[in-house]
Amino acid sequence: MTDSLPAVEIRNLVKDFKTSFKRQPLRAVDDVSIRIMPGEVYGLIGPNGSGKSTTMKALLGLVAPTSGQCSIFGKDSMKVDSRNEVGFLPENPYFYKHLSGEETLKFYGKLCGIKGKALNERVAELLALVDLKEASHRRIGGYSKGMLQRIGLAQALIQEPRLVILDEPTAGVDPIGSWEIRDLIFKLRARGITVFLCSHLLEQVQEVCDHVGIIFRGKMVKEGKLEDLIAIEDQTELIMRNASPELVANIERMIIEDGQAQLVRSGRPRTTLERLFLRETQKQETSKSQSK
Amino acid sequence: MNPLPILRSIPSHASRVSVIALHAFTQLVRMKVFYFLGFFAVILIASNFFNLPQHEGPESAGVNILRSIKSWSLGAMTLFSVVLSIVATALLLPKDVEDRTLYTILAKPVPRLDYLAGKLIGVLLLIFVSLALMDILMTVILHLRTNMVLADQVAAAEARGWPAGDIQILKSDILAQGPTASLQGAVFSVFLRSTIIASLALLISTFSSSTLFTTIISFLIYFIGHFQADARAAYFSQEAGTSDGWFTKMISLLVALILPDFQIFNVIDAVIEGQVMPVLILGKLTLIGLFYAVFYVIASWFIFAKKEF
Repeated sequence: MTDSLPAVEIRNLVKDFKTSFKRQPLRAVDDVSIRIMPGEVYGLIGPNGSGKSTTMKALLGLVAPTSGQCSIFGKDSMKVDSRNEVGFLPENPYFYKHLSGEETLKFYGKLCGIKGKALNERVAELLALVDLKEASHRRIGGYSKGMLQRIGLAQALIQEPRLVILDEPTAGVDPIGSWEIRDLIFKLRARGITVFLCSHLLEQVQEVCDHVGIIFRGKMVKEGKLEDLIAIEDQTELIMRNASPELVANIERMIIEDGQAQLVRSGRPRTTLERLFLRETQKQETSKSQSK
Repeated sequence: MNPLPILRSIPSHASRVSVIALHAFTQLVRMKVFYFLGFFAVILIASNFFNLPQHEGPESAGVNILRSIKSWSLGAMTLFSVVLSIVATALLLPKDVEDRTLYTILAKPVPRLDYLAGKLIGVLLLIFVSLALMDILMTVILHLRTNMVLADQVAAAEARGWPAGDIQILKSDILAQGPTASLQGAVFSVFLRSTIIASLALLISTFSSSTLFTTIISFLIYFIGHFQADARAAYFSQEAGTSDGWFTKMISLLVALILPDFQIFNVIDAVIEGQVMPVLILGKLTLIGLFYAVFYVIASWFIFAKKEF
């Protein structure tokens, strides 16, 4: 029965903030509605200050809606028990510097009611998942930005939540760290965990999300399945490997002969700068480990 | 269908509060606040050299040193507990907001009251442990010193040929200046006073915009608390007989409710002088401490529950 409930339901959310100097309150979120079903990966995209983080905070009960309602698996977001099923990674998180990675996860685990052997096993499992086993006894104060994001993701997952909310999960992280976080999101999706993330890095959202919403100046301007939103309906893409020039010429000739179809562009597809960077750094890493 | 995964159960308020309290305690311990104990030991040793016996008459030789040890020790305990209760409490909350660690805590199923209570109890636990360690140190030194003074005085009295009854009185007079139950009561009173101050700092930090503001206002209220009873009494004596007496009484009551009267803790000074602290007084102080702690925590919760992050 619970699976038929939406993981996230935001209905006509409005959030106004009082300002000191202006009489008119600042409207950060203006009549936003979002519905995310279990197992979906939903990306909320928009420029800085468009209301993404405020929407997420309202969903977590960190800010109270001016009007509208937010619920998680049918439970009102303003109630504490709605947070039983949710894990949250805030933007640029800082954890207690005096704790080690392992202690941090244990602290959050205990807050969620996990104890003893179950807690130790869960912490070990998560440290392996986010690849921080070796750094687990180091103080958080000495962690890099990417490591902080990964331990943040681990704490968000500590109580095995069915929904994970990630606010700019790759902000300020280098391409390798960013790739690792993206990989973790894929793993979450494979486990059937619902992911609600917001970012202004569009390429990453495109890679991991199956649904997206575009928010601009507090308003939802476009929402839907990613495939539907970005597909160019009247075009078809054909990518070939080891095609001879003769074959390409034949295909082009067939298109011209068809009369109705039209060749828009042909040439070599390009990789992205990010992929090139990752490939080259991995190559260096491999040759270094082989020479040892 | 059970919505919770098998590995966890719904934690009780007490268990969540204890997790947050133990964490706050660890956080403060790792900030190396226990270094203060080193300073305390130095103060305690130094207090042995004040009021040297050659300035005293033969009957009271050494007794003033015992008073000096108690006075310096309780003074250092007061200083440490007041400073720590204000600064640590003022620091913990804004730091969590600034570092966004609060988001990750409140995004878990943690009621805001549990968070506040946990932080306060963590600070109080640290103060309690510190005072207990200082108390042990003071008691040991005082016990050794009392025995030395007692041996010297009894020997001197016997040499002067005092009757046994007078020697017995001398003994009990000296022992009253040593590590008595009242002295332990005085240390506990220091703890109760810091409980009130820490709860007050917690309340201020829920609406304050900075640690500095919380610290300054808390110290200010602490100092006001030392003369607010006198100020109210003086005001009443002027207002006596006027028709609006009931109104000023209400205002006075309100002031006493919001600003605690720290003069009631002056019983600590009497203990330093060797007087006995009645159990009734200690019970009254405990009730007052509990009242203000609960009152300030509930007020903090009202503000904090509505706070947006």
